[in-house]
Amino acid sequence: MKGSVAVVGGGVAGIQAALDLADNGFKTYLIESKPSIGGTMSQLDKTFPTNDCAMCILSPKLVETGRHPNIELLSYSDVKSITGEAGDFRVKVLRKARYVDEAKCTGCGNCTEKCPKKVDDDYNAGMSKRKAIYIPFAQAIPRVATIDAANCIYLTKGKCGNCKKVCGVEAVDYEAKDEEIELNVGSVVIATGFKPFDPSVLTNYRFDHPDVITSLQLERLLSASGPTQGHVTKPSNGEVPKKIGFIQCVGSRNPRISRKYCSSVCCMYATKEAIIAKEHDPELDITIFNIDIRAFGKNFEEFYNRAQREYGIKYTNSRPPEVIVGADNTLSVKYEDFNTGELKSQGLDMVILSIGLDPSDSTRTIAESSGIALDEFGNIATSIEAPVETSVSGIYVCGVAQGPKDIPDTVAQASAAASKAAALLSGERGTLIKEREFPDEKTLSSEPRTGVFVCHCGINIGSVVNVPGVVEYAKTLPNVTYAQELLYACSSDSQEAIKQAISGNNLNRVVVASCTPRTHEPLFQNTCREAGLNPYLFELANIREHCSWVHMKEKDKATEKAKSIVRMAVAKSAFFQPLYKQKVSLINKAMVIGGGVAGMTAALDIANNGYEVTLVEKEKELGGMLKDMTEMHDGKKPSEIISDLARQIHDNNKITVMNEAKLVDVEGHLGNFKGTVLSGGQETHLDFGAAVIATGARNLEPAGLFGYGSNSRVVTQAQLEKMLAENLSANNITMIQCAGARNPEREYCGRTCCVDAVKNAIRIKKANSKANVFVLYRDIRTYGVTEKLYETARELGVLFIQYDKDAPPQVQDSAVVVHDVMLNEDIEIETDLVVLSTPLISGEDNSGINQLFKVPLDKNGFFLEAHPKLRPVEFATDGVFLCGSAQAPKLMEEAISQASAAASRACTILSRDFIETEAMVSIVNEAKCIGCGTCVTVCPYNAPALEEATVTAEEVSYTAKKSRINPAACKGCGSCAAACPSGAITAQHFSRKEIGEAIDAFEQGIKSIAVNEKVVEVTV
Amino acid sequence: MDCYQCGKCTSICPMRRVSKTSPRRSIYNSSVYGLDSDDIWTCLTCGLCPQGCPQKVDFLSFIQDERQGKEPLDVAHLGVFTEFAELSSKLDGSKPEKSDSKYGYFPGCVDNLGLFLHDVKTDFGEITTSSLKLLDKLGIKPQVMNMKCCGHDVLWQGKKDVFDRLKDHNKKYIKESGIDTLITSCAECYRTFSKDYDLGIKVIHTSELLDKLGLKIDADVTYHDPCRLGRHMGVYDAPRAALAGNGVRVTEMEHSKDNALCCGVSNFMNCNEQTKALRIIRMDEAAATGAKTLITTCPKCLAHFNCLKNEKEPVKNYELDVVDLNVFLSRQLEEK
Repeated sequence: MKGSVAVVGGGVAGIQAALDLADNGFKTYLIESKPSIGGTMSQLDKTFPTNDCAMCILSPKLVETGRHPNIELLSYSDVKSITGEAGDFRVKVLRKARYVDEAKCTGCGNCTEKCPKKVDDDYNAGMSKRKAIYIPFAQAIPRVATIDAANCIYLTKGKCGNCKKVCGVEAVDYEAKDEEIELNVGSVVIATGFKPFDPSVLTNYRFDHPDVITSLQLERLLSASGPTQGHVTKPSNGEVPKKIGFIQCVGSRNPRISRKYCSSVCCMYATKEAIIAKEHDPELDITIFNIDIRAFGKNFEEFYNRAQREYGIKYTNSRPPEVIVGADNTLSVKYEDFNTGELKSQGLDMVILSIGLDPSDSTRTIAESSGIALDEFGNIATSIEAPVETSVSGIYVCGVAQGPKDIPDTVAQASAAASKAAALLSGERGTLIKEREFPDEKTLSSEPRTGVFVCHCGINIGSVVNVPGVVEYAKTLPNVTYAQELLYACSSDSQEAIKQAISGNNLNRVVVASCTPRTHEPLFQNTCREAGLNPYLFELANIREHCSWVHMKEKDKATEKAKSIVRMAVAKSAFFQPLYKQKVSLINKAMVIGGGVAGMTAALDIANNGYEVTLVEKEKELGGMLKDMTEMHDGKKPSEIISDLARQIHDNNKITVMNEAKLVDVEGHLGNFKGTVLSGGQETHLDFGAAVIATGARNLEPAGLFGYGSNSRVVTQAQLEKMLAENLSANNITMIQCAGARNPEREYCGRTCCVDAVKNAIRIKKANSKANVFVLYRDIRTYGVTEKLYETARELGVLFIQYDKDAPPQVQDSAVVVHDVMLNEDIEIETDLVVLSTPLISGEDNSGINQLFKVPLDKNGFFLEAHPKLRPVEFATDGVFLCGSAQAPKLMEEAISQASAAASRACTILSRDFIETEAMVSIVNEAKCIGCGTCVTVCPYNAPALEEATVTAEEVSYTAKKSRINPAACKGCGSCAAACPSGAITAQHFSRKEIGEAIDAFEQGIKSIAVNEKVVEVTV
Repeated sequence: MDCYQCGKCTSICPMRRVSKTSPRRSIYNSSVYGLDSDDIWTCLTCGLCPQGCPQKVDFLSFIQDERQGKEPLDVAHLGVFTEFAELSSKLDGSKPEKSDSKYGYFPGCVDNLGLFLHDVKTDFGEITTSSLKLLDKLGIKPQVMNMKCCGHDVLWQGKKDVFDRLKDHNKKYIKESGIDTLITSCAECYRTFSKDYDLGIKVIHTSELLDKLGLKIDADVTYHDPCRLGRHMGVYDAPRAALAGNGVRVTEMEHSKDNALCCGVSNFMNCNEQTKALRIIRMDEAAATGAKTLITTCPKCLAHFNCLKNEKEPVKNYELDVVDLNVFLSRQLEEK
């Protein structure tokens, strides 16, 4: 067994899997084919339903991956083959020649500027040009240049050589060759993602016309970093379009071109893109032509409703067969209006093809070369009960490589795959990683001795700001005992120069004037630490993003501003004090609440990772809602899955199961929780370091709906499950979808009901082909690969009839009357059993458990995760995780993925020897605290708490509350310090003194303030 | 200085009930040795001690002068309101719009309060809208004075330079507006325009106009005298008449009128556990009257009482609502 893992694919799935494994103590290789990690998510403008900027939430993950000590990033590399067995794999990796030395390149971009060769930019989906030597996007990791050999003038014709000439660190190497290396790892995670469907295959859609673009291209047009800076214009002539049409399912749900599956994400991204386009231009007329709108995820239906209600986006339930290019090159579509049956024509200025997700080429090549089975669609084959396990033991899969899915499901699967790999190798945890060793810190002398290092960043800063001038100026500032310029402050020789200057001049404060702290602060802090300085005695002055890049045309003013920025940093740093992370011991045990399939899986995964876990279940037996299911959509028996899980749990001596038990009290925080469990009248006290909430959901009892409760022939899908296992006598069965869902009272989509209904319809037909089964639906939402169930049902003769939400079916004595939207007529269906497909609703215990852990619920009573995209199984409160239908309704395979994901996230805590607190935590001056609780209200992390204290103010004595901030929970965001009315809280490293000194230093340079209309102009 | 160190002031001082503050010592240190003492900053300038002073020492002027040019000890809310005033004092400010009205109405800084004091759950802007509605009812159509901060807090925080810049601007504004009566709904603005500005025009507080609205309000309230309206300016009867004249039954607290206790904080200084004790004492007195509503005429008193009432985990649960006089009356106006 080797304590290392290879993660193949550097999109958001691979990144999450690599971070989880690296945080769990495994040496991790992240192998990415392109020059930078980031995948398709890095190309997205925004992500729904929160409309967060995609790059803004992804970029911190890229940075964290790039600098994680346990992750070795192999970008611009392809996996050729995987051989060996679980615990001992050989992975052959082709490191493609980049022609730039990664170790030397500082990413300054001088070479790109001087390169004469322009090439289509695939980051902008071919809608703009990049150079032959390039960094794919501003936030790329690794931030190094790559030469596109096929287009480089020197490499193809032997001429030019500009990049080599301008490179200040001699990183360009035209002689570089492809290199094959072999990694020896214990496990492999495949995260090879997808390839956007190429719509030129479907010639009818006229992708050859410049104003017919793909959804990914629109994504780039909408993006502020895209080719048009976020202004949507027609590629043909640059005019602003007035009418846009989206055509859905281009390359999905299309067996004719062997794409039978639904791509899962297109309905929502089209809706999101439409909303953003409308936000840019409210006059824009947008129609989305679709088959069914599949808004099945958490908050998706609400988002879809908002698109119609607030933004006036039109959804037309009809798929145009072609895009028509008129004589004058104008675009139009013809479609059937289902309401009138008439053929309509609509002129459009732009057509957006909502392209599907094809399995990527590398998925196929790796599967073929390594003997990993694929499913009928070309995805890596898995099963419902083991959704991240491939046909090869020890090789796991996550993300779209396993089947089309959106970002949160991808992120959850990534953590799940990491959990499985970590469990396999748990005996080797920590064997291949190294702790860094640093020299002792120097004692801090009382007087600040500040060193200032001003970076040219090649020409990025140096061509605008007079760097030598700033250096000379810095020398005149108070406390500055040393100043020098550096060509690239971040290059490795510069780190040596800084260290020598620190020791040679006995510096005790360091200011580097260069670029953003977001990417570079840890590097310089580390350099300081290596020189024996506490890392919190360092300050970055950003004279690139905040100065040279935005004032390129005002060089003198830019130099003056750079001086001000340096002056502020020097003034601020003089008041820095050494700060230390505290090490807090932790309990390496977990608690899982809820013994359904999610809770059972989470408990098993944690135990298999080597940690003790207590599983608390309120009922007598484990199994949860799965106990009521009699057959899954792949034909397997749920009872067998439950008994298999129960047996594994029983056999695992690290798991303690508490049945008929209830968690009644929780105290403490990340790493050190104290819980009280009530079971059989006995209270048990349990200590644990992390908790997983897996309390599931429950079936809606649709009392009063469609005669349920009064008419014995009306049952729910859950009741039908039981009838199907016993004996079903009914011959004419009518199912009604969205019973009690997607209405004003309960806005969300039940997600699982369409799959359940279609599955049960198939079961009925298979048992009795003469049975008549009708499914009355609004949209059929058999997303992803479950689309095949919908197809099977139709093949077996199940009849699907669409109704409108404003004209629900009427249940009569022996018939159901429905207004068929397609026919525009009322239909009477002879029926002896009506089956209502009802949504799952939130668990009744949720509102108690959320109080115990102080975690939020959403408006539907489900638990609210920390972030809907990138933190789907976590709470904002550290150490508490969630999975399964407790978060929102989900299919069994999704609940299992989430359960393993929650286990993986919990293990990133349990695997530690101690909890390291933030160094920059906020602290309370208790004497000044008036106990108002404002800090408790504003803190996103539950760090402050009010504790009782007696205040005696001369003749008045009262029991007051005092704030205490738990350093293990505090992230140092400073919200409390800003909000505290009595100034009792200090955000360390950002104290009022430190910030105030910086502001005062700025004011010293102000010559005038002029108010001009609404703009305040400050002259320095 | 007329002070003969009898110490009566210290015995009267409400701050002394909750801290070691000594008005006597502050005068002594200053006049005998020229020393600064913390006492000049812990003083709430409530104006209680001069009432009892046998030598009629003008303690308020002493404190105001003594503080000038010195750094305050304990400014609340990280000094954001002070920063606002300082910044605004350096900007050009606006000019009055053309109007024939001889009345000017100045809302004060309630919008700034609303911006930063979320936790006190008070709609400060409602004081402005209510005042304008009441004035309208009385047939007064004032110009709304878009001036800078009156400078009350910075003056009492020892920043006379900032105060003077604000004052210069505002005086010019008032002159250009052509008004002959300046109406304000804030006790602090009222004191400042009356005593620290020498405007030469009539300055009135809204509470002085409201006794004849003709409302018939069936309610039991108690009334808290803000120090700026009460002891600083001697306006005790007008707000009570504004309540009684409209049918409201007013039950007095144990300490009222010239004897009233302080809300605990002034000039955005000294928000601490000692002054919180003062707020508790005052709210206890208000609760003891059995009234359902505590009326005041100063937005700051309003903020401080509502802060205590709306704490995350309140020290005590006070049933009574704390409402500005203008807001209280205006709401009844709407119910008619």
